[in-house]
Amino acid sequence: MSAPVVSGSERETRAIAAALAATLAPGAVLLLSGDLGAGKTAFVRGLAEGLGIDPGEVTSPTFTLVHQYDGGRLPLLHVDLYRLETADLDELGLDADVTGKGVLAVEWPDRLARVPAGAVSVRIEDRGADARAIGVWHGDTGK
Amino acid sequence: MLMLGIETSCDETAAALVESTADLERPWRIRSNVVASQVEIHREWGGVVPELASRQHVRDICGVVERALAEGGAAWREVGAVAVTEGPGLVGSLLVGVSFAKSAAWALDVPVVPVHHLAGHIESIWLAHGNVPLPAIILVVSGGHTSLYLVPKAGEYRLVGRTRDDAAGEAYDKVAKLMGLGYPGGPLVDALSVEGQAARFPLPFTRLTHPDRNAPDRDHRFDFSFSGVKTAVLRHVRLRQQELGVTALPDQDVRDLCASFQYTVVETLLRRTFKAARWFEAASIGIAGGVSANRLLRAEAVRRGAQARVPVFVPPLALSTDNAAMIAAAGLRAHAAGRIGAPDLNAVPNLVLHANSEERPPPRP
Repeated sequence: MSAPVVSGSERETRAIAAALAATLAPGAVLLLSGDLGAGKTAFVRGLAEGLGIDPGEVTSPTFTLVHQYDGGRLPLLHVDLYRLETADLDELGLDADVTGKGVLAVEWPDRLARVPAGAVSVRIEDRGADARAIGVWHGDTGK
Repeated sequence: MLMLGIETSCDETAAALVESTADLERPWRIRSNVVASQVEIHREWGGVVPELASRQHVRDICGVVERALAEGGAAWREVGAVAVTEGPGLVGSLLVGVSFAKSAAWALDVPVVPVHHLAGHIESIWLAHGNVPLPAIILVVSGGHTSLYLVPKAGEYRLVGRTRDDAAGEAYDKVAKLMGLGYPGGPLVDALSVEGQAARFPLPFTRLTHPDRNAPDRDHRFDFSFSGVKTAVLRHVRLRQQELGVTALPDQDVRDLCASFQYTVVETLLRRTFKAARWFEAASIGIAGGVSANRLLRAEAVRRGAQARVPVFVPPLALSTDNAAMIAAAGLRAHAAGRIGAPDLNAVPNLVLHANSEERPPPRP
């Protein structure tokens, strides 16, 4: 894992996410961890921006579990497992066609029973006020 | 026309019978309204487990519909059409209702009427109170939704604001969880806030005075944001835990934080709602969805409505939490307008309410 990048604002966080999005290939899986309020949904907004999707469409999928955003370079599936104890991605009714062609971003991946192979982990930590430390590495979160 | 309504978009398996009447002011009458809640099952799990939810819907749907017919004193052959929530929601859950509704409609040889879940919530105002003065501003506020709709005429829904991040009910659930309270969080935080001092832990109001920088073409919309207040509660909790050297906060801290959170959320909801009502010169305001059960929200909405001389309508709890009577009512509205479903009707998890929803508000007079 490379050293975490420190972001000073939500705007900067979104730019970091957008830069990461530009490197993603179809079928990419991102595991986003961090406490409540760390800015995971804001990060997904940056991913959307980087993929050419209207970031204004990105809202929290906590209640609905899955949001799908189309219209960009790749479709973006935004999954939030916060309300679940344990989860299996296969049980979420995700469209296999979309997950194969798009980017799957999963909030609260510690709920996953099985972590998909080849996933990229993103850890966001609150450093006070608007500052966040963002670490990105290949493999799961180590939980 | 007797409409059978079916709702399975999230936690509740629900069925209801609503009939149209000859009374022009109160066009609909509820014959029955049955809900089999899954909240007991979900509390044990800390949330909705999608597979579990759809399995529960499969288990409960037949019994719930049978009961709706029995309680409404109606036979199957009297059902004139079947209305069902087609979205938004969990795909597996939605499919149970949609499949059931299509099968029942096919067997009875009657139309199936697809309904947007939020259209159901909006129509719950008309179902409970009859025809309200138009144009109306309707706040739909629940666990999964926080949206403001302008209803210029009956059956027309224009989105004029929505949350940019978390739904209000979701913020309640998350704040309850980070203070170690149970699920669902709304009623717990509401109850605890009664004995709390909101002024002790002031929380910030998220200001959205500038156009959404994520979507600058959407200025002038009456959007909400609840992610910031959630994070601010978390900061207070952390700080007090450090100051006191404890993990569980003292009861009075929890009560005061609940009161402050509740004050901030209710203020945010009502300021936007009344601002939109003034902007569109609304003749009435409605508040639908499960969070409308909130004690402070109800009381403050009615008080401000009286002050602004705009009547405020809040349906009773049985019609504001997810139910099928509102789906049947919205179905009657759609059916009367000739909007019925095709045989290949399917569940749409990301369904948007109305293409005209992006219309800009007219300039201020």
